[in-house]
Amino acid sequence: MLDSQTRDSILHVRDEAIRRGIHAFFTLHREKSHLLRIGNNSVSLNTSEDLTRLDVEVLAGRRQSAYTLMGDIDGPATVRAALERAVAQTAVAMPKDYEPIEPAVAASIAEQPQYDPALEALDPAAKVETYERIMAALGRSYNYSGSWSSGSLELFLAGTASPATAWHLGTDQHFTCVLKHPDERWELAIQQTGWRADQVAAQPAIAELGALLPVYARPGWRVAPGEYAVAFGPQAIGELLGLAMWTGFMGRGYEEKLGWTAGRQLGERILSEQVTVIDDPADAQTFRFGFDGAGLTRRRFPLIQAGTLAGLAYDLATAARYGRQPTPHAGSWSLVMAPGSGPADVGDAAGGLERVLYIPALHYLNVPNRSQGIFTGSSRFNAVLLENGTATRPIFSTRITDTFAKVFGNIEALSSRPVPVNLSSTYGRRQPEGASVPAYMLCSKVSVTDCADSF
Amino acid sequence: MEIDAVLDSAVAAGMAQTMAAGAQYCDVRCYSEDASENLLLYDGNLEQNAAELESGLGVRVLCGGAWGFAATSRVREAPQAFVRALANARTAAALVGVPLDMGRCPPVSGAYRSPVGRDPLDVPLAEKLDFLRRLDARLAAPFVQHRLIRLQLQRMTNRFWNSEGSRIDRQLTNCFATLMVMGLDQDHRMQRRSHELWTSGRGTRGWEMVLEPALWSGRAEQVTEELGQLLQAPVVEHRRRSVILLPGQGFLQVHETIGHPLELDRILGYELSFAGGSFVTLESFGRLQYGSEKLTVSAFGGIENSPGSFGYDDEGTPERDYLLIDRGLLVNCLSSRAMINEANQRAGRRLFAASGGASRATAFYRAPIDRMTNVNIVPGTDGTLDQIVAATEDGLILDCPTSWSIGSNREHFHFGCEIAWEVRDGQIARVLRNPTYQGHTLEFYRSLSAVGDASTWRVQQVPNCGKGEPNQIMEIGHGVPVLRFDDVLTGERS
Repeated sequence: MLDSQTRDSILHVRDEAIRRGIHAFFTLHREKSHLLRIGNNSVSLNTSEDLTRLDVEVLAGRRQSAYTLMGDIDGPATVRAALERAVAQTAVAMPKDYEPIEPAVAASIAEQPQYDPALEALDPAAKVETYERIMAALGRSYNYSGSWSSGSLELFLAGTASPATAWHLGTDQHFTCVLKHPDERWELAIQQTGWRADQVAAQPAIAELGALLPVYARPGWRVAPGEYAVAFGPQAIGELLGLAMWTGFMGRGYEEKLGWTAGRQLGERILSEQVTVIDDPADAQTFRFGFDGAGLTRRRFPLIQAGTLAGLAYDLATAARYGRQPTPHAGSWSLVMAPGSGPADVGDAAGGLERVLYIPALHYLNVPNRSQGIFTGSSRFNAVLLENGTATRPIFSTRITDTFAKVFGNIEALSSRPVPVNLSSTYGRRQPEGASVPAYMLCSKVSVTDCADSF
Repeated sequence: MEIDAVLDSAVAAGMAQTMAAGAQYCDVRCYSEDASENLLLYDGNLEQNAAELESGLGVRVLCGGAWGFAATSRVREAPQAFVRALANARTAAALVGVPLDMGRCPPVSGAYRSPVGRDPLDVPLAEKLDFLRRLDARLAAPFVQHRLIRLQLQRMTNRFWNSEGSRIDRQLTNCFATLMVMGLDQDHRMQRRSHELWTSGRGTRGWEMVLEPALWSGRAEQVTEELGQLLQAPVVEHRRRSVILLPGQGFLQVHETIGHPLELDRILGYELSFAGGSFVTLESFGRLQYGSEKLTVSAFGGIENSPGSFGYDDEGTPERDYLLIDRGLLVNCLSSRAMINEANQRAGRRLFAASGGASRATAFYRAPIDRMTNVNIVPGTDGTLDQIVAATEDGLILDCPTSWSIGSNREHFHFGCEIAWEVRDGQIARVLRNPTYQGHTLEFYRSLSAVGDASTWRVQQVPNCGKGEPNQIMEIGHGVPVLRFDDVLTGERS
């Protein structure tokens, strides 16, 4: 539980605000982060950050503002000073032409659904040992890189609109290891994710990387521009899904015809009927949050149901402006793409097919045309040619430029095995985000537009 | 939070204890203030009215050839940060292939302040909002569906100390601004046209820069007019032709396919697990013909008005002015002290004479990494934009990125832009929409056939360059003239 001094300071100033007729919302964000970075078979950086942030939002009629303080949140005076700053900003703000919705903690909650003290206190020496085991097993003639982020996040929300408070404590980690050939221009990678210390281990990494080494010893294949059967792996599916959501399922983009779902109606079929995507904060493969950043209670929220448009995410401002109900999507989502009925493993799914490009991860995805849902990105790490289901050769860095509607519309097979992927970034504050996706998604007629000379 | 004599003493004591405990090197950055204001006016509504203040301290320790780092937002816990950073370095030292070495540098004492006429964070909020409201009114037109104006104002005050006796005070100020209009085209797809606050490289970078019509707000009517043209325009066809990049697009081309591939930590393989590698190797320097002879690229930290100018980098190296590419030949890189030493050691010779002064951190709670400063293309001798257009048979003029995607080794790229003007037989023929182009870096720069003169050169500001683990955002600048490349693949297959 949050230390009583900080909690009491926030609640004390919250109560003062109520007495003064100020509408305010407080969010405390406390992170203990650790990251070990590997480069050139060495630890290149070993960091620890202990950071506390206080966000204060103030609403006065149609005027609004926010103030964030990172520093010593050491008593009511600091919290009060942050509130006064936000109040001053609000006083001179222009009123909006719509009635804003005030953030409010919907129901009191104190949760730690995924908290492992052993991970919070994980000794960096244990991380070093894991990388050393991988290097020892696969050989030190290769060049190893990677990073291992771990830590804890504590959130506390309170506002003047309701007496309820929300508290969350959780741990998360994201482990990557990259194996590069010393002379050839190829790299292999593995990722692991989870919230418990025991969810990252050397042995699965050794097995996965080791299995790919013989394939990558063979000559690479340059993929000529054209249409191909492509099996996307978990990381690629997660990235594509996240980008498809951001460009097509945000209420603002939908209402203002910015996104690729604009003009489509709820209940209308937009993708393959094999595609069901739900934001499910109860899914244990994702990072679970019982409430969002605006204090709304998170719940199972269908976005795509058997290929039909089932839901859109509305933040408070968009909901207020367009007369919709806000949805609990301020902060991390728990995207779950339902597994399919295909074989668990991609090799079995591609067994009857002469040639399939297996692309587990996509590098630097972007959206050249949001309203048409065109994305582009290139293969990276572990990409291979499958011939009759067997990995025969590595493929050079291959650019795919296509639309979400086409790729998620031309699904030939979807794995029956769900796999967790970590979608967190470490820009700014710690905010873990994970998804659960099928182990592969085999699509036909995917457009390859370019190919490089390295992998 | 003040950086006072008490903190000075605490830092001195912490560094002394750390060095006495066996560290090779130690540096400390204390931010008394890392403040920002973000204002977003969207369709006339103030959708973002946010301010932020960060303060704290970061300690970096080199011990046993490995880095340890610790940061805290509770400055009273500074002594613990020294202990943690040293412990982290010792743990890291258990797994070291090539020990890192900072070398020795003489102590540097100095101070730097961004040149500012009027501090943007001292301007009353009401005055800023009044300016934005009046600007917003100028973006309205019957075909404009949405209007967006964004201001990002930053002021960072910090002190740097290192175990060599350096002590540097800095105050950096940035003003970033965007205006944008959006409308539905004939296919009911949203198009946009925007303009970012740019600089000439000369002058001050306070609120006065935001107010200068020639740099930003004066383009409001033109941007709206160009959106109107875009909404009626045909789509760019998929075929090869010349592309003429205005500085509003050229800066990102330079950023992604010259700046990032020339960061020495990428070249040495320290970014492989996230940002990626580089097709450039240590053997490339002095040998690789990166582009045509018209391509000369500098790293110049001293542009007086750019977010890529900062006086001293985050390990105390004064800003530098040097060439990265000289008439097409690759000659140098963007670098920091330890990376230079490692590269020279690996090369078995003195490949690089000194740090490029490009070691930068986004905040007190991130350790410095190799970044860009101002990576610029030196103006050429091919005249003005009109003269370059007049000498172009078949091409597209391109401006403002909508999308960028680059291969992990920076070998290949794909860019989307807001607008294209078709050039036929030396004349601008018409506006085209949905422009994209793609290519391979070396082939592309070797096709550079025209570089505009100084009249076409301007400094584009970049507020959001992402790199590193933990991830870091950095502010940088690019001085770029008009550039023409030949035989480039444009547009998408229908």
